[in-house]
Amino acid sequence: MAATQKPMRYGHTEGHTDVCFDDTGSCIVTCGSDGDVRIWENLDDDDPKSINVGEKAYSCALKNGRLITAVSNNTVQMHTFPEGAPDGILTRFTMNANHVIFNSDGTKIAAGSSDFMVKVVEVTDSSKQKTFRGHDAPVLSLTFDPRDVYLASASCDGSVRVWKIADQICTTSWPLLQKCNDVINAKSICRLGWQPGSGKLLAIPVDKVVKLYRRETWDSQSDLSDAFIMQPLNVVAWSPCGQYLAAGSVDGNIVVWNMETQECIERMKHEKNYSICGLAWHPKHRQIAYTDTEGNLGLLENIGDGKKPNDKVASTVTKDYNDLFDGEDDDYLNGDMIEPQSSPKAGANEDDGDDLMPTSGHLKRAIIDDDDNSLDIGMIKANSNLEKEDDDDDQTGGFPALPPSSTQQPFYDGPMPTPKQKPFQSGSTPAHLMHRFMVWNSVGIIRCYNDEQDNAIDIEFHDTSVHHATHLPNSLNHTMADLSTEAILLACESTEELASKLHCIHFSSWDANKEWTVDMPEDEDVEAICLGQGWAACATSALLVRVFTVGGVQREIFSLPGPVVSMAGHGEQLMIIYHRGTGFDGDQCLGVQLMELGKTKKQILHGDPLSLTKKSYLIWVGFSAEGTPCYVDSEGIVRMLNRGLGNTWIPVCNMREHCKGKSDHYWVVGIHENPQQLRCIPCKGARFPPTLPRPAVAILSFKLPYCQVTTEKGQMEEQYWRSVVFHNHVDYLSKNGYELDENAKSQSVKEQQELLMKLFALSCKLEREFRCMELADLMTQNVVNLAIKYASRSRRLNLAQRLSEMAVEKASELATAPEDEEEEEDFRKHLNAGYSNSATEWSRLPVRNVQQDQEMEDAEETDAYEEVEETPEGHKQSKKIVLSEEVSSNKKDPVVPSANVLDTMSKYSKKTSLSSSRAVNKQNPPVIKPLIPKPKSKQALAISFFQARTLNSSEKTVEEKEEKAGNESHEVKVTAQESTENRRPKTGFQMWLEENRANILTDNPDLNEAEVIKEGMSRFRMLSSEERMVWTEKAKGGTVNDLTEDKKRKRPTTDEDEVKKNQEQKPEDSNLSKKPKPLDQSTNVRLAAFAFKQS
Amino acid sequence: MEPAEAEFLAEKELVTIVPNFSLDRIHLIGGDLGPFNPGLPVEVPVWLAINLKQRQKCRLIPPEWMDVEKLEEIRDQERKEDTFTPMPSPYYMELTKLLLNYASDNIPKADEIRTLVKETWDTRIAKLRLSADSFVRQQEAHAKLDNLTLMEINTTGTFLTQALDHMYKLRTNLQPSESAHSQDF
Repeated sequence: MAATQKPMRYGHTEGHTDVCFDDTGSCIVTCGSDGDVRIWENLDDDDPKSINVGEKAYSCALKNGRLITAVSNNTVQMHTFPEGAPDGILTRFTMNANHVIFNSDGTKIAAGSSDFMVKVVEVTDSSKQKTFRGHDAPVLSLTFDPRDVYLASASCDGSVRVWKIADQICTTSWPLLQKCNDVINAKSICRLGWQPGSGKLLAIPVDKVVKLYRRETWDSQSDLSDAFIMQPLNVVAWSPCGQYLAAGSVDGNIVVWNMETQECIERMKHEKNYSICGLAWHPKHRQIAYTDTEGNLGLLENIGDGKKPNDKVASTVTKDYNDLFDGEDDDYLNGDMIEPQSSPKAGANEDDGDDLMPTSGHLKRAIIDDDDNSLDIGMIKANSNLEKEDDDDDQTGGFPALPPSSTQQPFYDGPMPTPKQKPFQSGSTPAHLMHRFMVWNSVGIIRCYNDEQDNAIDIEFHDTSVHHATHLPNSLNHTMADLSTEAILLACESTEELASKLHCIHFSSWDANKEWTVDMPEDEDVEAICLGQGWAACATSALLVRVFTVGGVQREIFSLPGPVVSMAGHGEQLMIIYHRGTGFDGDQCLGVQLMELGKTKKQILHGDPLSLTKKSYLIWVGFSAEGTPCYVDSEGIVRMLNRGLGNTWIPVCNMREHCKGKSDHYWVVGIHENPQQLRCIPCKGARFPPTLPRPAVAILSFKLPYCQVTTEKGQMEEQYWRSVVFHNHVDYLSKNGYELDENAKSQSVKEQQELLMKLFALSCKLEREFRCMELADLMTQNVVNLAIKYASRSRRLNLAQRLSEMAVEKASELATAPEDEEEEEDFRKHLNAGYSNSATEWSRLPVRNVQQDQEMEDAEETDAYEEVEETPEGHKQSKKIVLSEEVSSNKKDPVVPSANVLDTMSKYSKKTSLSSSRAVNKQNPPVIKPLIPKPKSKQALAISFFQARTLNSSEKTVEEKEEKAGNESHEVKVTAQESTENRRPKTGFQMWLEENRANILTDNPDLNEAEVIKEGMSRFRMLSSEERMVWTEKAKGGTVNDLTEDKKRKRPTTDEDEVKKNQEQKPEDSNLSKKPKPLDQSTNVRLAAFAFKQS
Repeated sequence: MEPAEAEFLAEKELVTIVPNFSLDRIHLIGGDLGPFNPGLPVEVPVWLAINLKQRQKCRLIPPEWMDVEKLEEIRDQERKEDTFTPMPSPYYMELTKLLLNYASDNIPKADEIRTLVKETWDTRIAKLRLSADSFVRQQEAHAKLDNLTLMEINTTGTFLTQALDHMYKLRTNLQPSESAHSQDF
């Protein structure tokens, strides 16, 4: 089996890098052009220790706890290792040093600089320096003879020289390399290497081959080459045993030869073909760490495993036969010295391979498990490949196909299970960090410091009016935290002596005891916690969810179907994400439960599968500030519960689209629906931010993944649906009895209708009338009217006609729905809620009387009207109404130009939205009803008819109401009274009904008020149009009478007059002034109805 | 113009703060500010930022240029060039002084920044003096100076113009003295 190549990871900023292992091989040390030396525990170490050594580090070497670096201020510095404390400057050059190395026992260092000099310095006494002059260009690389006699150096002048250290003289020199004037222009940095142990061979990378020179004789013994190498070699490195030689090329290939056989045993390709500039062997294991010129770090494992002894196919070893006999003895000697360790392997290669495999596989698993927060899917993949022989062959690419090993046991060849994601707290950084965020949410920040001096928790509130910042000692070693505006919740896992604890600091408590602690039962660990309003919850390793009140009373307890991943609370809602099962091929298999823990407890999501992007895992789960569940996966997709579409999840943002670099991420801290804000912290080259310097919050916008958002149509569609999705919470909240900002709601509806109208206009322009109809279907009643107007103006008569049919249908739907429910309505509800609906209705009615005049005046309208008239009789009437309605809405407000769609829109849409959100509303019948003529006035009729009686029986109430309204504001009253006043005299039907009521009642004595009107309407409809006309005329004539009749009502006339004046002065009004008006209206209506029933 | 006036003008510059209170949009003569959400960065004028900071109502996020590396670069550039280089902010000196005085705890490496800005300032003022000197020496009629900030102009503006006036008087007085003499006749 071939070596395993782990995915590269970001190590340093782009530029030259160097890598080495420490003496025991427990960590990898890299340096880079950012001037940092990083100490990596392993390749997956997300938090390497960094030591800043200068502005740029060119090379580093490590031995005996001393770290030497060549840095850009032309010095060679020493630091202690692993502490990283500066330990003096060893030597200086007039230019920067390019390469520094230790000798085999770590007593001396050698450094080669761009000022053409090579220096050898004793580590303990930097005054003992030896300088080697002779190169005519910057020195590229150096290597010490393991016996400390010689030193070899390569330079940009094209020569490789061997120096005798004691005499400081050049022993030999080969013109091997291409000449250049500076290191950056050098084709290869020519990191040469002396064979460890005996130091028999000196390996020099020259173009595409590695030349091997023999000690003392300084003649070329042989060349190592391989067909795989297409570009010059940059680096060579000997394995510590001296048996293998690795070389890295400028196009990112790494080749390993077995020196014994001189055959190539490994060929690896860099993921991105970046130039390899650092190679280091692990001192004990067969691992190679390598770095490239883009600052990435990689690791090859299990070098030489599964090497076939007779696999020589591609390696071409050109032996130098002149030296064959000379070298033979030495070779054998050499071989014997090293062999004992490796020879058994050569024979029992296959067993060895099999033995090794499970252990190494196990090892990797362990690594994955250690790494709690940043589970790398690529790594998992590599892991699963491990067990699949076939994949390995594919992976090595150019490696000749191995005959399948007969001793191999059969493997499971299906999809590999993904390791389950560990539980986490949203908005926290990994627990192993010394300084970490335990939580960052919309309330505040909890940080945890866990270093030598201090083990403490810092709590800070964004809004200091919630609570002041707090500092707590963390004696129990809490690892989980949550924060709300009421309390701080902390939890720790169990230790040997202590049980797992849940600790709550209820700072908003009004008594003196602000804290409580609960011990979990034995063998039960808290794994996730969250806070809601008035409650706290924790999920434990026993698959239980325990709910407490915020004061510490134990509440519900229930079992989870699987191990918890994370949970979140908001208000009464609790969301729990858990493992539903095992995911495969890098996917997680998660489920979600959403429940409400309020007065009526119910489960909304019953363990539904959670949709995650492929090969991703969950990184954040929570609620928007408005209470909509949301979550974020590791691919940066933010999803939100769409309550408007049967509780499905909708992706609302792809954070990766906002990232500049590939390794940049956003760390979510909060989601707001109104205004639409995704609050997060940009993290460069990491998944999470450090605690210092204090990260700043950035705001991302949401974008639904609709198609063709570059076009105007796609853009508006996206905007429309986004607006719809992000206002779902309004309905939800109003259903759950939260207070709502009516303004925001009407704003949103306005925005949506505006977008629909724009889309409608766009489709009209594109001659897509069917599409126009589809859009109109989404519009509210009033906007449909506008659409009709638009269509008729732009001479799309067919469309206008169809639209008005639709408008009629819509109206009838709306009309029937509330009527059915009318009966169940109770009086009080009306007072509270129903009024606002009737408001607009009433105020609009008066205009109707003058309908015909208006039609005459408005040429355009008439035009449209006439055109419509050609349509079949059935539609005609309703259409008339529609049109006139529209006119009235325009006429009503002479100041506002008719083009100002929005004014009217907002008013109307408010009504409709209200009616739709409150199913139980008693609503006045909508503007138009196709079957019953002038249905709008139905409610009005009721009032006017029974007004007299009402006054008798409930005079006081009415008066009270009116007084109240009068107190509230004149303006309010104005509109309210005005409309009632004007409206009462209104319709012919009303008069007709007055006359015929008795008949109806005698026919059907047990009808109630509404039914009477219904019946009356159907009868009225039976009349011929002439008859109806007569009634209408009558109604017009009777206006004056009606008005006088009004005066019976005990309304302060002064108010009224004032009102009228006001009305004249300022015609239309804002939503604000309108709101209270309906109160009067509906009260009257109600009272009237009530009174009638009594009689 | 007094330095205090220049500072007053500088207080209109916008800086980013992170408030720790919640307040709806406020409507001022100079424009609307806010809304203020706890924990969410918002841009406000310096005068308000300092006021809030003094009342411990916010945390200040230093302007982008108030960074040791960037300022070092600016200083080096300023030293290298003979002419004035453009400054990151027309009120760099005033802002540095104000922000470092009132919000140094929110600005990393405040002392270094203070030194760097002072060094840049000194270089520029030295240049200004030098050019004024050569202007006077060569008896030039006009000169053009680019990239000067208000505060810098203030340091020499009044003095230089007055000095030139005096010199003009002295020069023109040389001739009248002769004529006066002749009158004595």
